[in-house]
Amino acid sequence: MIRIFLFFILFVQSLFGYNYDSLLLKADSSIFPKIMLMDKKIKNKLIDNKIIYTIVYDERDYETALDVKEYIENTFKKYMNGYPYAVDLVKFSQLSVNTEASALYVLKSSTENIKKAANIARQKGIISFSYDINNLKYDLLFSLIIENSTILYLNKEYLHTNNIDFVDSLLSMVRFIGKNSI
Amino acid sequence: MKYKINCFLLACLTTLHLQADDLRASLFSDMKEFNTIATQTKQNEHYQPYIISVFKSKELEKLGVSNLKEALMLVPGVDMATDNFNNQTPIFRGSNPFAYGQSKLLIDGVVVNNLFFDAYSEYLSMPIDMIKRIEVIRGPGSKVDGINAYAGSINVVTYAEDFKGFESNNKVVFKYGSYDYGMGGFVKNFKIQKLKGHIDFYYQKDNKNISSGPDGVSQGSLGPANVGLSQSGDAPLWLDEYSLGINLKYQEFSLKARLLQYKQGSAYGINFALPQKSDRIKLPSYYAELGYARKINDVHIDIKAGVKYDAFDSKAKLMPDNASLNGVVFTNGGYGEHYAKQRVMYQSTYLTYDGVSNHHIVFGYRVTQEKTIDMKSKLSNLTTGDATLVDYTNTLPFFDKDAYRNVDTFSLQDSYDVNEKLSALYGVNYEQTSYKDAGFEPRISLVYRQDFNNIFKAIYSTSHRNPSWQEMFTKNNHSRVGSTDLEPEKVTSYELAYIRNFTSDSYLQSNLFYLINKNQIYNSASNPAYRNAAKTDIYGIELEYKGHILPNDELYANYTYLDGSYTVDGTSKNSSLPNVAHHLAKGYYIYYFSNAFSLGTTLKYVGSKERMQTDLRPRVKAYTTLDTALNYKSTQYNYTVNVSVKNIFNADVRYPSPQNTYENDYTQERRTFLIAFKKSF
Repeated sequence: MIRIFLFFILFVQSLFGYNYDSLLLKADSSIFPKIMLMDKKIKNKLIDNKIIYTIVYDERDYETALDVKEYIENTFKKYMNGYPYAVDLVKFSQLSVNTEASALYVLKSSTENIKKAANIARQKGIISFSYDINNLKYDLLFSLIIENSTILYLNKEYLHTNNIDFVDSLLSMVRFIGKNSI
Repeated sequence: MKYKINCFLLACLTTLHLQADDLRASLFSDMKEFNTIATQTKQNEHYQPYIISVFKSKELEKLGVSNLKEALMLVPGVDMATDNFNNQTPIFRGSNPFAYGQSKLLIDGVVVNNLFFDAYSEYLSMPIDMIKRIEVIRGPGSKVDGINAYAGSINVVTYAEDFKGFESNNKVVFKYGSYDYGMGGFVKNFKIQKLKGHIDFYYQKDNKNISSGPDGVSQGSLGPANVGLSQSGDAPLWLDEYSLGINLKYQEFSLKARLLQYKQGSAYGINFALPQKSDRIKLPSYYAELGYARKINDVHIDIKAGVKYDAFDSKAKLMPDNASLNGVVFTNGGYGEHYAKQRVMYQSTYLTYDGVSNHHIVFGYRVTQEKTIDMKSKLSNLTTGDATLVDYTNTLPFFDKDAYRNVDTFSLQDSYDVNEKLSALYGVNYEQTSYKDAGFEPRISLVYRQDFNNIFKAIYSTSHRNPSWQEMFTKNNHSRVGSTDLEPEKVTSYELAYIRNFTSDSYLQSNLFYLINKNQIYNSASNPAYRNAAKTDIYGIELEYKGHILPNDELYANYTYLDGSYTVDGTSKNSSLPNVAHHLAKGYYIYYFSNAFSLGTTLKYVGSKERMQTDLRPRVKAYTTLDTALNYKSTQYNYTVNVSVKNIFNADVRYPSPQNTYENDYTQERRTFLIAFKKSF
């Protein structure tokens, strides 16, 4: 009986995704692509002259990832600040250094998967955005929370990467956060 | 050539700067917009200078929660009380369980408390499907300018709230349940060029009659001569109502209007004598509010003007057959028709100024004129005992037909961000009325955000409740005698809160509160005159947790402990609060089997309640109810079916009755079921 129950729990878990706040997802979808564009080296990250904004998701969160993609496409129409773009959906299991991406937006997943995504973003020298602020401690770069006001958090320990150089005005808008204070 | 290259580089640099400036402006605008939405939708509730709980209807629907009352029963520190009209009232933190008006109900920012009782029982049956979100502030104050709640305020947000890019909420709803309950309704939002509109409509009725008694006649509510005529039987608690809400917005102008035709059974009887099944009370409520809001540089102006009508309209058998009153025998019983219609007109202007760095200053006024505009009082012939109704409107009115009151409120408030971590909200309200004034009422609250995970709040506030129409203007009644000399009830509140955010969607909040209540309005069966006779001190703690056990579930739980002391003038201090549960625990758990199926369970525990010192009945028993609901959502066809069973274990739920009335208290429904079907468009 216990085995059946455990099997049932594990089975249904694989069918249903993590919980997401729809407002936060929409704020992320509006704001993060604009932050990506404030990287002075964005041109170096174009793939076939296009921005590839990659959403990395756990298999069970496909619907959420799809919602985010649609929201971005409705918000930015065909161009991001003059650049043509595409929003790609990539599962954590399929993510590798060979994945084409100008930036990663990382949804919720296991610690192992989050670390993997952060590591790949660093290797590729691209910006990584996290839905969950707690995942900044696993070396993702940006996250956003809606407190008394909307606050952008930037992982200060991974700011000075050779391939990323933000315009100064962005740095005056973010709040720097260290791994230990998350 | 070199010159050309330099020019090209300069042009590129300038373009880059321009683009960066545009992006920065766009980013800033987005952050501000989402912050506005978050503030309006209470998404950032933990950072607001209030103790606030927010319930989203889409979650509650999965639990089988059917209406506003059931949703409010989940709020920490909130219990429910009722009276002989079945005038149900949420009781916040044990504050005066037999009074109304200690909390305010707002629908889309419009106060809907009726003037007669200062209650809003007629809105508690509002279907959850018409509601987008419920925001409950515990403690004095409210989020709406000029509205000063006493013990708590409830803001019901309908689907009229609309934000660009958010999904449509157009839908039709049908429900069927126990007591022949049936409901149908719809929500429709539309846009015609610059005009944005919202309509909601519902109709619902049931045939609820609950076995009650012996009635208050057994305790002498109609005098010792009639004690033997006491009855037990079904109390008519049936409901028949419809409501139409319209919200329109055209550029800076807005209109919020609602029509509610509410009719219910006469419940436990005006004189605590069990009425007939067909006897009824109507509590209609209509309002319309026009608004004009505009931002000019750093100044935001918000002008509102509104009118609200409500009525108390009762038609019932008041005395059983052969009742005797002042030596007159009513062979066929005594009947009565009581009607009092009220009108409230108000106008408010508030200015918000953001021109001083880190300050958000709001000041303005609200003027209100309250008036009874019609009153009728008909009773069986008091001289002959004949049951036929005689018009006593002028000779023996049950109410002052010229009742009126003007209330003028002025307020000044500043929200100041001291630094990144600390913000303060401070201000003062001043109110004067045609009768006794509340005067100045200061408020200050501090929010300290140590970091994302740890937030602290400290709040000091004062507020008042003006006497209700019933308490001021009731006449010629055995159980209620009004007085225009009543002072407003006053409360001073001290609250401390600590919020621990574990993740972006799980937290634990703890609140400590201490409330000093003065001038509490009180009457009793032995002295039915309303008077400022009671004082209470209430203290307690509330714990609230929201989070998950598994990735595919939701868990919410809260616990409230409260205690205090109570004193009625002329009696010794009672070291306990009468008719108040010291322990309240509520919670729900939703388990998602898949994106389509979920199972929800709701648990509520309300502790036992002591009686007044002079009331020798045993304590009101504690009860625990367990509800469960199975929800199926078809994403392909956009419909939802929900089947719920409430009070599965058939717990005996009773709300306390006052001394010398219904000896066995007011019995509530036992196990019930409900089936809901919703189709979205």
